[in-house]
Amino acid sequence: MNHFDEMIALHYLEGELDSERAEEISSHARQCAGCRGLMRALERESVWLRESLQAAEEPIPTCLQTPPERGSLPWGWITALGLAAGGAYTLWSGFIEPWRTQAAQAGFTQESLLTMLFFTGAFWKGWIAMRNFMEFSALATMGIAVMWMLRRHSRRISTIAIVMGALSVTLTLPPSSRAETHHGNPNYVLPTGQEVKGDLIVTADDTRIDGDIDGDLIVFSKYVTVNGQVKGDVISFVRDLQINGAVDGNVRAFCQAVSLHAAVGKNVTAWTERLELDPKVRIGGSVIAGAKMVQLNGNVGGDVLAFAKEVEINGSLVRDLTVRARLLRIGAGAEVQGRTKYNGEHSADVSPTAKLSSPIEFTIHKRRPDHTNPRYYWHQTLLWGASFIFGLVLLLVAPGFLLDAANACKKYGRAAGFGALVLITVPIAALLVCLTIVGIGVGVAALLLYVIAVYSAQIFVGMWTGEKILGAGVGFGPALGRLALGLAIIRVIELVPFLGNVVAAIVVVWGLGALALTLYKNLRPAAVAA
Amino acid sequence: MEQGKATGVMSAAELADVVSQVRAGDAEAWGELYRRYAPAIYRFCRRALPTREDAEDATTEIFMKVRQKLGMYDSSRPFTAWLYKVASNHCWDLLRRRRVRQDLETGDLETLPLEHPEPNQIERLQSEHSDKQVRAGLERLPDRARMALVLRYHAEMSYDEIADTLGVRRAFVGVLLLRARHQLREVLAEGRAHGLRGTSAGGKA
Repeated sequence: MNHFDEMIALHYLEGELDSERAEEISSHARQCAGCRGLMRALERESVWLRESLQAAEEPIPTCLQTPPERGSLPWGWITALGLAAGGAYTLWSGFIEPWRTQAAQAGFTQESLLTMLFFTGAFWKGWIAMRNFMEFSALATMGIAVMWMLRRHSRRISTIAIVMGALSVTLTLPPSSRAETHHGNPNYVLPTGQEVKGDLIVTADDTRIDGDIDGDLIVFSKYVTVNGQVKGDVISFVRDLQINGAVDGNVRAFCQAVSLHAAVGKNVTAWTERLELDPKVRIGGSVIAGAKMVQLNGNVGGDVLAFAKEVEINGSLVRDLTVRARLLRIGAGAEVQGRTKYNGEHSADVSPTAKLSSPIEFTIHKRRPDHTNPRYYWHQTLLWGASFIFGLVLLLVAPGFLLDAANACKKYGRAAGFGALVLITVPIAALLVCLTIVGIGVGVAALLLYVIAVYSAQIFVGMWTGEKILGAGVGFGPALGRLALGLAIIRVIELVPFLGNVVAAIVVVWGLGALALTLYKNLRPAAVAA
Repeated sequence: MEQGKATGVMSAAELADVVSQVRAGDAEAWGELYRRYAPAIYRFCRRALPTREDAEDATTEIFMKVRQKLGMYDSSRPFTAWLYKVASNHCWDLLRRRRVRQDLETGDLETLPLEHPEPNQIERLQSEHSDKQVRAGLERLPDRARMALVLRYHAEMSYDEIADTLGVRRAFVGVLLLRARHQLREVLAEGRAHGLRGTSAGGKA
């Protein structure tokens, strides 16, 4: 007989050969030292593998000490949900409410949490409330960490707890500021002839700037009049803002009324009740306005984008005019050199002497989705298609991650608890990062990732839904089919008035939690190995 | 199959009694059954799945399935065999679902040539690596290779059972096992297991 190979030797050792063939092998091995050596080595390897794999060295984790109970509610995630709810309450009572009160005291009634945070964090008194909130978040995170550590008896959460704790502490550090600040006194006046080097930050009831400012003017006040020159930007949260002196930079206004009587070098952004541009004013850049009434009588060098109840144009616009309003009036002295796009409830009122480079592109605005219009359903189909393509890309790029995240949706409570926590804390943390340590770049990138994460939530829940209906499939095609079905079901339910909004919110929280759990799971081994 | 070593001692009569009590809804009996078998199933999952958290989740899910399906268990068959079958199906299903484009892995095993081994080299690997290092090396193997070794040498499944679990022809199981052994040898020889969990215990040498 010839020498036998490793496969035959293994089959012999595993008892997979018939008796005749086994006898042949056995007798050959007795005569051939080489084959006998191979057989012995493989046999020892089998024993070695059994011993290594069956060794009962690792203790069973604490979390597996008690048998799972079907239908019972794990206390860990209930507490996580409770903490998230507590966090939301703290956010409201310690953060949003004080801000609203403060804004109301200053005569500012418009609600824009994001912009307020973005521009006022540097001097805002609500920092204390914010710190309390962050402290709560840190405590909540630590609480969850401790519970999970007890539950899991492992190190995996400790790394995250340390990172999040450190982040929370870092975020609560007050920002350094090189600006000159003024707080407290009811009135503030920068006299004529005086110049502030650098930025000027003012909180007062009545503010008058007669002198010049070398940097930005950030002001939180009832009345602000700027007569001097501002070489930087004007950022204002006031009731009435009147600018009579030149501003070299941008004007960002969050006010009840804004009137501009002097040139602005760059752009104007105004969220206000009334925005008025004097005829002799020239704006170097673009104008973006969200207001009740917008009156542009001056000259604008860039585009104009206005969301308002009424928009009146009497000045000269060098570029495009885009308006979404109930009514657009284009007066006798108006000139629009670019395109004019208008979305409104009534057709525009255009003076015969107004100069428009092209006819107005008018579309009728409808406040609510028109369920009888096929275009509405086409639009919904497109939205479904967009989410499906996003899911397809995820499936191609990171199939394991997508399916893991869909699988994590099974942990309803834990996913919902973490989703709520992430949904609340991440944007706040990102905004704080913008204001404090690293800067706007990182903060904006984090916000962008947050938006992508929120959007991707539907993919994970959709995948889970598809698998729940059709059962778990293996392979690319079945996974794609389940994703398509799941997303379609979510999209259809979201069409239902009221219920759709509730479902959409649940999907976001749930999917975001599943994403967070999966991310954590994927990042954990590296952290534990350290 | 002989999983008695891994699961602790429980006589057949005792086991049958406990199983019937669990079927009748006895929570204490369920706790007893769980305590007896959970460590072995956890270790099985730990070998079969890539991370510890996967193993923890899978153990919980397997026992929930066991409780649901206990009514379908044929008591004339060994309980441990049935339990490992449920566990292996669950783990393999989990791994397959993650590997969406699994077709990339099939086929190559039958065509790739295997290098003829040196008996001395095999024995040297055995003497140079601890149990922990072998298990760490196992984690580096492709899913199917790892699963084949675990089913055969941890769960002591027959070729038929392995073929059934992994969805391959019975004749292919031997090839799969041999290929997996080669891959494990390569991993250990290249020292890729170093730096993984448990390696700090050092080798036997």
